Amino acid sequence: MNKEDSNPTLEARRGFLAKLAGAATCAGAAAGAAALGAIPTVSAKTEAPPAGASFPTKDYDWTKHQWGFGVDATKCIGCLRCVEACKTENEVPRNAHQFRTWVERYVHLEGEDEVRIDSQQDPVNIEASGSEKEFRFANRYKDAKVEKAFFVPKLCNHCTHPACVQVCPTGATYRTEDGVVLIDHGYCIGCRYCVQACPYGARYFNEEQGVSDKCTWCYHRITKGLQPACVEVCPVGARVFGDQKDKQSPISLFIRNNRVQVLRPETGNAPNVFYVGIDKEVN
Amino acid sequence: MEPIIQFAPYTGWVYPNETVFEWSVLIAVYPYLTGLVAGAFTVSSLYQVFGFERLKPVAHMALLTSLSFMIFVPTPLLLHLGHPERAFNSTITPHLTSAMAMFGFFASFYVALLILEGWFAYRPFIVDQAQKQSGLLGKFYGLLTLGSYDVSEHAMRYDRKWIFALAVIGIPAAHGLHGYVGFMYGSLKSREWWSSDLMPVIFLFSAIISGVSLLAVLYVVSCKLRKIPVDLACLKGLAYTIWAFIMVALVLEGLEFANIVYKGREGVDMIMQYVTGPLLIPYFILQFAVGAITPFLWLSYMIWRGTSGRALVVGVTVCACLVLFSVFMMRWNVVIGGQEISKTGKGLLSYHLPFFGKEGALVAILLTMAPLGLLYILTRLFPPWSDEATHAHS
Amino acid sequence: MPKHIFRLVSLILGFLAVAIVAKPFLTVDSFYRFGHYRANSVTEIASQEPVLQTANYCKDCHTERHAQWSASSHKSVTCEICHGVALNHPEKGKLPIPKDAVKLCALCHEAMTGRPRTQPQIQVAQHAGGQQCTVCHNPHSPKIAAALVRVSGNAAAGKQKAADCAACHGTAGISPNDTWPNLAGQNAAYLVRILSAYKSGDQKDVAMTPLAQDLNDADIQNLASYYAGLSCKGAAGEKAAGDIAAGKVLSKNCVACHGETGIGSNPAWPKLAAQKQGYLANALKAFKAGLRKDPMMASVSRGLSDTDIADLAAYYAAQNCQTTKNP
Repeated sequence: MNKEDSNPTLEARRGFLAKLAGAATCAGAAAGAAALGAIPTVSAKTEAPPAGASFPTKDYDWTKHQWGFGVDATKCIGCLRCVEACKTENEVPRNAHQFRTWVERYVHLEGEDEVRIDSQQDPVNIEASGSEKEFRFANRYKDAKVEKAFFVPKLCNHCTHPACVQVCPTGATYRTEDGVVLIDHGYCIGCRYCVQACPYGARYFNEEQGVSDKCTWCYHRITKGLQPACVEVCPVGARVFGDQKDKQSPISLFIRNNRVQVLRPETGNAPNVFYVGIDKEVN
Repeated sequence: MEPIIQFAPYTGWVYPNETVFEWSVLIAVYPYLTGLVAGAFTVSSLYQVFGFERLKPVAHMALLTSLSFMIFVPTPLLLHLGHPERAFNSTITPHLTSAMAMFGFFASFYVALLILEGWFAYRPFIVDQAQKQSGLLGKFYGLLTLGSYDVSEHAMRYDRKWIFALAVIGIPAAHGLHGYVGFMYGSLKSREWWSSDLMPVIFLFSAIISGVSLLAVLYVVSCKLRKIPVDLACLKGLAYTIWAFIMVALVLEGLEFANIVYKGREGVDMIMQYVTGPLLIPYFILQFAVGAITPFLWLSYMIWRGTSGRALVVGVTVCACLVLFSVFMMRWNVVIGGQEISKTGKGLLSYHLPFFGKEGALVAILLTMAPLGLLYILTRLFPPWSDEATHAHS
Repeated sequence: MPKHIFRLVSLILGFLAVAIVAKPFLTVDSFYRFGHYRANSVTEIASQEPVLQTANYCKDCHTERHAQWSASSHKSVTCEICHGVALNHPEKGKLPIPKDAVKLCALCHEAMTGRPRTQPQIQVAQHAGGQQCTVCHNPHSPKIAAALVRVSGNAAAGKQKAADCAACHGTAGISPNDTWPNLAGQNAAYLVRILSAYKSGDQKDVAMTPLAQDLNDADIQNLASYYAGLSCKGAAGEKAAGDIAAGKVLSKNCVACHGETGIGSNPAWPKLAAQKQGYLANALKAFKAGLRKDPMMASVSRGLSDTDIADLAAYYAAQNCQTTKNP
């Protein structure tokens, strides 16, 4: 602009203003980016609940419980009733490749260094049960010289510092106040980052629903005073469940009366499923 | 009923839930595309910020290439999601601890930056075309001028400052963009093959060599199509860049593998079995020997001997193609390879790549080619050729 | 500032402003209430209806069965494991009674590598000739009580005590008439069990109950040892009151416990060979009517007609008893 050139003061002022505007733009852009994500804003549509109301249901207050799970691998007989009960209870896809809970068999044969491990997805076991919809272990070692063998039930560990929750981009998976890690099937976008992040292989992707899924400790049962389905049907008491806030609950007693351990403690996830009677190969 | 899921065959012991491969070839294509974006932008920055004048012939094409590929980056992700219609959930309520969520913001910021940079670079051309063209095209350019036809020296000074600022911001932005992709893998504790502090840097440097190579190939191809001689100084500049960054990339990738082997953590037996078995060809032969060491040696030779003329053009083009192939193999070996090694550390699975299907080879190829189509359109609308007086002083 | 810069900056700031303002409107209901998730989803999940019921659900209607089951060693095996989900029962009809017991029971009881020793396990193919488990085992009370009996008596002392029993059961353990059973050569473990049952009131018999109550445990052991050692030769003789051939066919169902000719492998179960016909018939009728209590015998006798009973009794009565050494 020609007029500007003739008035140095005006130009200087405009130059300064321009610089200021430039700085403000940068700051604004940065602040905007920060505000978009960093400051959790209250949704305009949420009505604050009446103070003191019980959450999540009126009969169950999640601040009063802290759930825990125990597995006694010395008792497990590998009958797989837990696997079937879970599939029935939670509408898990009826195949041999997607599980909320499963049982592993560890067998040491004489003269071998490597342990042999198999589970429900093994084709030999699928054949023994006759289909992918029913589950049993094939009695494949009955003629072999076995040094040591045992079963280990596995499920989601509902970690205190879950890697899966950390990596979820949307907040579709989360940890509740009573210590259960849940998945919001209405919010999950199906990116499967959580499935990759879980070190225990506890998660799977439900193709039909397009969302990730995993064991919920049967949250819909435990909030009604029932036990998870797998605990309910275990005929030998290999699975233990209870409220860690209650010092006399089965899980509190289990932890107190046994030397318990967790899987992969080096990850720092702090799992809440406590194992008794597992071996060095179990991970 | 046709099974919708493919269950992968395996050996050894794997967790029952692992027999479904969650991240398919599309998830290998996606870092490949973002890598090309970052690499192409690096060329543009070398010119804009670091003053590599010899790269002027490709500077604007670098921007257009970066933009074309960036626009296609979300496509493999959207095809992969179980609920693509909910994709914006990670933008509206981003989980700040999730690398994937923060990547979304980085990517959006970077797209905006690319568009801005391109706009500033082409503004005189746009203003010129808005006044010359008529009809729909004229309106298109007119819209892009934002109603201002000011191309005076005063305005151009502002433009140059913005271009410089954007290019400067763009370097960490582009590198952060692709570093984040590497971080997404490197930060996971669940897979020994992925879990590494070096992963972001490895992804970054291999991205750079892929982008620069892409530009070299595109430049040579465009010169051939336009029947003009290749600017050998420019091509040599690109070759030097590829050469330098291959060295860094090789060192980093070598370091990462050496670390795994040397530290010998739990699961290393299975990794060694995998790498010397199913992955021997894709990893050592294709990614390293053919795709990285060969071009590196060839480029070294050409630089040493001062090769010029046709031999240089052929040599650099072939090397660039090999590098492009190698970087794709690297993405494949990380993404697919990582999932083929079981989390148990005691088993291996095997990925089957379908040809058809939403996440098959055909879609992967199309998604890699489509940005080139867009690039073609963009070069028509915004010609990047430096031998025509079509763009601003930059 | 040039116009285009100003407009560009306004565009950018405008877009950001819209984004910031729009976020609360675009954020779904109840998000951020307790953390980075949709609080309503917790309620949704907690409100889902359970599918599996507990055994208490079955208790109100199936009271007796439930009582039997919850006192048994199978009390940790819930009803739905074998009978399927009870959710729509009884509205949608009966729950299945498992047809192939061998397949079902073997899930837990097949001898398999890795199963703890505490779990009762069998080699399925070699167990009871591969018959259905329910032939001998009541799934709601699977332990066969008979198997637990210990025998450690003194036959000489028993002989002395047996003088009181001779009036009905004969001086050599061969009863004088058709109604009272022979005792000679009978399994000692069975005799201990049945006498103890009469004594404790688990079994009731007009004659045996008061007599048994006068016996102490040592007496019972001694008597059992004595009678078990007697020879059963010379026992048969009555005319058959039923069709022996037909009885033989029916007896195939009894082989698992009582052996092919009425001499079984488990000493806790009585030998039937050469037993009194009348006694056998009365005993079966008593089992069928529930007057003589045994869950196993009750279920196998339920389907027997009077003719069947007569035939079976005739068959066994006609068999040769072999004087086998008692194990």
